[in-house]
Amino acid sequence: MITVDDTRVIGEARVLAGTDQGRLDLLRHRSTHGSLPALTRDDYTKLCEAVGLRGRGGAAFPVALKLQDLPARGVEAVVVNGSESEPVSRKDRLLLTRSPHLVLDGAVGLAHALGAPHVLIAVHDARAATSVREALMERDDRLAIEVQETPGRFVAGEARAVLSALEGGAAVPPGRRVLPTRKGYHRRPTFLSNVETFAQLAVLARLGSRGFSSTGLISEPGTQLLTIDGAVRRPGVIETPTGVPLDTVLQYSGAQAGPVLLGGYHGRWLQRTEGVTLQRPEVSAGIILALGSDTCPLGEITRVTQWLSSQSAGQCGPCVFGLAALVDDFARLTVGDPQGWHDAHRHLGLVPGRGACAHPDGTARFLTSALEEFDDDVQHHLTGQGCGRPVLGVLGGTR
Amino acid sequence: MNKLEIDWTRCDGHGLCAGLVPDDILLDEWGFPVLRGREITAGELSDARRAVLACPALALRLNNR
Ligand code: SF4
Ligand code: SF4
Repeated sequence: MITVDDTRVIGEARVLAGTDQGRLDLLRHRSTHGSLPALTRDDYTKLCEAVGLRGRGGAAFPVALKLQDLPARGVEAVVVNGSESEPVSRKDRLLLTRSPHLVLDGAVGLAHALGAPHVLIAVHDARAATSVREALMERDDRLAIEVQETPGRFVAGEARAVLSALEGGAAVPPGRRVLPTRKGYHRRPTFLSNVETFAQLAVLARLGSRGFSSTGLISEPGTQLLTIDGAVRRPGVIETPTGVPLDTVLQYSGAQAGPVLLGGYHGRWLQRTEGVTLQRPEVSAGIILALGSDTCPLGEITRVTQWLSSQSAGQCGPCVFGLAALVDDFARLTVGDPQGWHDAHRHLGLVPGRGACAHPDGTARFLTSALEEFDDDVQHHLTGQGCGRPVLGVLGGTR
Repeated sequence: MNKLEIDWTRCDGHGLCAGLVPDDILLDEWGFPVLRGREITAGELSDARRAVLACPALALRLNNR
């Protein structure tokens, strides 16, 4: 389990600026970042377009498009999604506990630009919630700002589940696929994004597009927050320029050699890391898990699948039955039952696209890439001898 | 164009729909519908509407966009 005290920077510290000295209160925030310029809606849209800013919660949707999708009038709320439901991710609670004013600047600045009367901050972590509440007492933003604690389940972090929870309902995605920009908080147009997106917006508003683009990729300049964990000597959150080589981050964190899971539990496996660079959409919410070579990969994957299956909100049949079947398939395959392998392939075809949210799709992506990248291990296990390694729980996976 | 859609939070896997439009809906091993995903032609429209009305969970929709 990593703590938010382990923070590091490769290159220039932007969203993490000043956090190595502890939490930034309003005074330290202002002396570190300067004050937030008052920008119009048009300014924000142009800035986001110029730097190709993408949401940092996982889906990597372009922020400029989200802004353009909002109606000209009647935007009800700006929602900061800090539910950080990926079990390994720590970046959002780190920002909220160490640099709450930067996140608030991003949300408040945008709310003023959009004419939205409400700012809602959904937080799962108690320390993060306290930090934001304390920060709010130091400011006067002339808006209705609310901090709400939401449940920590995996699927509860999905945008529409967060909106449902904020309205006092169950933290599960509704059956109809509606866009928050059209029907969000109380069915009214809403701008919702991840905590880091707002911190990046606050940096972008200050630096302008040229200053913002002085580091990182040409296609998506700036910095990004990554959470690294697993078989590494120094787990934690790192700020890096976008496009940084994966190997640089692995070396920097003291990762053991071995396969890497990129993008969290809905992500993809990589057997080889040379030449891989880190940017959206591939890094998703920025989670990098090193497997190392001392543990049984198939056992680890089965554990994560068990966890993913337990996190299904229990609403949609193919998700509930499909994920449970996949847990069973992988457990059988690991002990050498070839029928488990066949069933896994069939079930992986039955799960994607058949739920109210992307949980079955993400789980299928994780397992399909596991079968591809660990084919040698699979074949070995199918001889019935296993790999002789214990299952260390490097990836986490149980509650 | 018309397409069938399922609200998965409502569907209980009754399987009635598959009986009414077997060319467009199959059932998986758990009894839940698998949509073929193709367009509903004018000739099939009345059967598709019947299936939508027959769904006891109000989970099936005919979407035209
Ligand atoms: S797809 Fe799965 S996780 Fe998503 S709402 Fe349905 S049951 Fe819940
Ligand atoms: S009839 Fe309705 S509830 Fe039954 S399987 Fe079809 S869509 Fe689902």
